[in-house]
Amino acid sequence: MENKYRLNIPRLNVLARDQLEQIHLSTLEVLRRTGVAVKEPKAVEILKKGGCYVKAERVRFPSNLVERALRNTPPRIGMCDRSGQPAMFLEENNVYFGTGSDTPNVVDPYTGKRRTSVLKDIENVSRVVDFLDEISFVMCSGIASDVNPKISDVYHFEAMVNHTEKPIVFTAWNLENLKTIISLAEAVAGGEEKLKNSPFVALYTEPISPLTLAEESTQKLMFMAEKSLPVVFTPAVITGATGPVTLAGGLIQGNAEILAGYVLANLINEGAPFIYGGGVTSMDMATSTLCYASAEFMLATSALTDLARYYRLPMFSFAGCSDSNTYDQQASLEGALWTLLSSLNGGNLVHDVGYINNGLTTSFEQLVVSNDVIGLVRRICSGIEVNEETMTLDLIDEIGPGGEYLTSDHTLRHFKENWYPELISRVPYDRWEKEDKKDLGTKARDRAKYILENHTPQPLEKKLKAELRKIAESRDR
Amino acid sequence: MEILEEIAAEIEKGDPASVPALTEKALSQDISAQDILNKGLVAGMDTISERFKKGEIFIPEVLIAAKAMKAGMEIIKPLLAESKVEAKGKVVIGTVKGDLHDIGKNIVAMLLEGSGYEVIDLGNDVPKEKFLEQVEKERANVLGMSALLTTTMTYMREVIESLEKAGLKQKVKVIIGGAPLTYSFAEQIKADGYAPDAASAVDLVKDLLNQ
Repeated sequence: MENKYRLNIPRLNVLARDQLEQIHLSTLEVLRRTGVAVKEPKAVEILKKGGCYVKAERVRFPSNLVERALRNTPPRIGMCDRSGQPAMFLEENNVYFGTGSDTPNVVDPYTGKRRTSVLKDIENVSRVVDFLDEISFVMCSGIASDVNPKISDVYHFEAMVNHTEKPIVFTAWNLENLKTIISLAEAVAGGEEKLKNSPFVALYTEPISPLTLAEESTQKLMFMAEKSLPVVFTPAVITGATGPVTLAGGLIQGNAEILAGYVLANLINEGAPFIYGGGVTSMDMATSTLCYASAEFMLATSALTDLARYYRLPMFSFAGCSDSNTYDQQASLEGALWTLLSSLNGGNLVHDVGYINNGLTTSFEQLVVSNDVIGLVRRICSGIEVNEETMTLDLIDEIGPGGEYLTSDHTLRHFKENWYPELISRVPYDRWEKEDKKDLGTKARDRAKYILENHTPQPLEKKLKAELRKIAESRDR
Repeated sequence: MEILEEIAAEIEKGDPASVPALTEKALSQDISAQDILNKGLVAGMDTISERFKKGEIFIPEVLIAAKAMKAGMEIIKPLLAESKVEAKGKVVIGTVKGDLHDIGKNIVAMLLEGSGYEVIDLGNDVPKEKFLEQVEKERANVLGMSALLTTTMTYMREVIESLEKAGLKQKVKVIIGGAPLTYSFAEQIKADGYAPDAASAVDLVKDLLNQ
């Protein structure tokens, strides 16, 4: 696998060692003292057998039980592409980017107008993801409004797997639908064992803040643990609303929710491929919206990444997302700040690229521009090579004061190591003026349209495609 | 004539070491210096500048090709003079007084040479007297001036006014370039042309001399 995914400069920490310890120990205290409400009786039973204190649905976790489970963390989770080839090693300092999931709206790249998402949009996002070099995995982006809403998640998965070879992180409405989706994935992989050994899918599911493991999400988590398939378990703590307003408190509560899920998964299957992370975001108290790009959200995500490193669990992080209602200057600046910060922190499975409008709308412009930003940030994160060839003492001496380096062999040998953008402009003013004065948004929309009109992803075999269709349709009642 | 294609190919590859030997070889096959120039050296550079405009190759690759072209040019230069073949044009170029930032001017000079123009490079920090003296002495077709600083770019106006006073302004096309410059500044100071980047400077010279 290419080295380009690796953070080659010192990782950025936002929590000092003793702050990490404090947050960890405080999390243990919350799990022991307050505990978590677990709404799924089978899970309560398993936790009780595992050594938790149970009173009705309230489960309290002895600290040593949590510590013991944390000794089994899988330091690396490998994910494959659709054909079973290794595609992502989710581990310390490897950074991969992907889209987000389940936005009710999309900005139509042809009309530029916001409208309700349809299944075709999910196919289109998958095709764009398949095309873009810097995007490593797909999430469905939209919620299809034009299919049976009870099993739209199954249709989302079918649309994704038919239109990209890249790994898929998916959502499922309930356990039954999850089982259907996994049977689709197993059909593609060539059986249960093959999917387990070379997983190209991960489930995204959530606890509910504050401190609740809901029935359906817990069932889904348990199913994935039993199957030994990757699962992302990520809370959405809204500080000041579903969690304490101060970040330390928000982090402790969110961490307790994640670790409760982790302990359960680990009791079911030791070393289950569990992906840590998620959102400790803030509420905008003027508008009561959930912020997708607040300073506090970015800072808390960095802190959670520090915790993920501390536990040696892969981190599910954020990038390329924005609160702006349209693709504009705000959208690109927020998206870019996220991308830089998540990379400097070394988040692993970094999602939500293409989100605008507080996560309610998918923007193709935001997605294709983020591809450029990710390339730029990757160049920063690749660091500086320091050796005889790159320090060039002889060359500096040879050229001397007042000379030029443009025609030296050394320049010719190395200048292509610099990174070049696709959409970001560097042309001189006069040329730009002649070339219709296109701004970034216009170029981004043109680019998205170009990809949609010209890129054909590798299709699934006809027989397999028909088999998937049959499985999905059998559930459409 | 295969040897001429070979010369063009070596220029496209950007190998300054091999071009002189191939040029000698072509001469030994009784190919005229003018044919070597047009069908070998210039042909190679034409391909290079096309590829650069399409974004297929980059500045360092163009410059190394220009270096290869120049190496071949050195050999046929005396022969061209003998047979009274005129160079495509003569360009006196320099960075104006007070300014030591000449990397842009150097690129333009190299590209012009690579396109077959004779270039007399006066370096940087060049006073108007020197520009005038060289334009007159060399009977230059084009005078190119560059500046990076907003404080030195105004000096270009002084140079042009001196050319007018000396009665040279009609005899030479004045072109200017540099990061802070614009078309409207060129107009204001009565320059004949402005190029926003090095590659278009070559086109500009071509256009001005074809007028």
